[in-house]
Amino acid sequence: MRDASSARRRTRTAAAVGVASAVTVALAFALWPSTGNPRPMEGPALPGPSRSALEVPKPEPLRDKNVSLWSFVRRATTARRTPSRAGAAVARLATTTPEGTANTLLVLGRARDTAGRVWVRARLPVLPNGTTGWVPRRALGGYRSVHTRLVVNLRRRRATLLRNGRPLMRAGIGVGLDQSPTPRGRFYIRNKLVRYRSGFYGPLAFGTSARSAVLTDWPGGGFIGIHGTNQPELLPGRVSHGCIRMRNADIVRLGRLMPVGTPMEVL
Amino acid sequence: MTMEGFCFRKLDVDGALAEAVDRAGAITRGSFLAGALGVSAAAAVADEAVAQDGKLGKVDQGILNYALTLEYLQAAFYTEAERMKAIKGDVRKAARKLGSVERAHVKAFQDVLGRNAVGRPTFDFQGVTEKPRPFLKTAVAFEDLAVAAYGGQAANLKAASAVAAAVSIYSVEARHAAWMRYLFGLNPAAKAFDQPKTKSQITQIVRSTNFIAAPPKTKRKRAPSFTG
Repeated sequence: MRDASSARRRTRTAAAVGVASAVTVALAFALWPSTGNPRPMEGPALPGPSRSALEVPKPEPLRDKNVSLWSFVRRATTARRTPSRAGAAVARLATTTPEGTANTLLVLGRARDTAGRVWVRARLPVLPNGTTGWVPRRALGGYRSVHTRLVVNLRRRRATLLRNGRPLMRAGIGVGLDQSPTPRGRFYIRNKLVRYRSGFYGPLAFGTSARSAVLTDWPGGGFIGIHGTNQPELLPGRVSHGCIRMRNADIVRLGRLMPVGTPMEVL
Repeated sequence: MTMEGFCFRKLDVDGALAEAVDRAGAITRGSFLAGALGVSAAAAVADEAVAQDGKLGKVDQGILNYALTLEYLQAAFYTEAERMKAIKGDVRKAARKLGSVERAHVKAFQDVLGRNAVGRPTFDFQGVTEKPRPFLKTAVAFEDLAVAAYGGQAANLKAASAVAAAVSIYSVEARHAAWMRYLFGLNPAAKAFDQPKTKSQITQIVRSTNFIAAPPKTKRKRAPSFTG
């Protein structure tokens, strides 16, 4: 009897403890919010993330297969044969062209000298045609890039503008006479002249880094240009003093498509 | 090493930057950024909220143009560094990755702003992209600057979609900053709280670099003197 009575007491005690614990836990949960301590990750539902105004494109690697860089002379300097202050002088470079525009250079490479100074190898607008030299980086302005290239075929008397390696425009051209030939080689577009009054040069002209090897005393230094004409009936043909002539409609179109700094190859 | 008080003038290992800052005749030193900020300021004064047709209001457009200008700056910086091929190893890999991301940011902003997007300015990084140490130091400064700029403007955006856009880039710029800090040997997460910068602070810093330069004059109204 005693054993049965004591077992009932233990059962009642255990039940009472259980009930008390449950009440305590329930009270704790009920009182928790009122104490300012919200349960972690629970509570009222929050709105979802707002939709972004941006359509995010996939980051793409740089595709530079057909890119050329150019810069301009910010401070008059001397181009040298080697990337060193001790290198032999190749040419003195002014900040402006005879046309009053920035003196642009086609960038071909770079190197550092023993003192850590950066030098830029550039194609130069000097005779003999095709001359390159090393210019102190600090004498140049910022780099700019173009994706275009102009190929001039003297035999076919045709110019082709390419963008990213693909032909964009073709035009028949006039080229230099036998006594004043258009120079062959690698050059670049230096500047663009517009809104002048000259039927002979047409509505627009590009200056190039090419120079006539025979008309060296020509005003401005005998630079070869690409320009329009008032004698379109002569094109294509050998008609010029070395310049590349185009029909006016073609030069206007080229003016829209070809940026300054474009490399030019005369074959 | 500390970045406290870090500014672009201290990037000038060769003296070229300080010289550029002092050089007279820098035609539009920072004027491009100032222009973008001017749009932002004017829009803020107008107190225009989000347009009803779902497009961004002028306040948001101004701020996004301000962000776009900074993205132009960063994208051009990393792109030039990649083209120059003067940076090697892990830093080169990071520069390539960050360049692709910054170009994507530029495209995203241009797309959302459409015809209202500011044009791309011309840059002159003055050789900083061609030397590893100055490159990395400038990259750290650019990324920290971007984080401070986004932090300074995010709360001023009106449309939730614009806030979401800014926040999505803000966190990426913070990761970039940490990455470049790590590569430079700095603590990637030095502070518990970032200090945002105001528009005028950002403008002042960018102006002091002369990295945004006037474009060279390559076109002229003048009769040719070519050989003809």
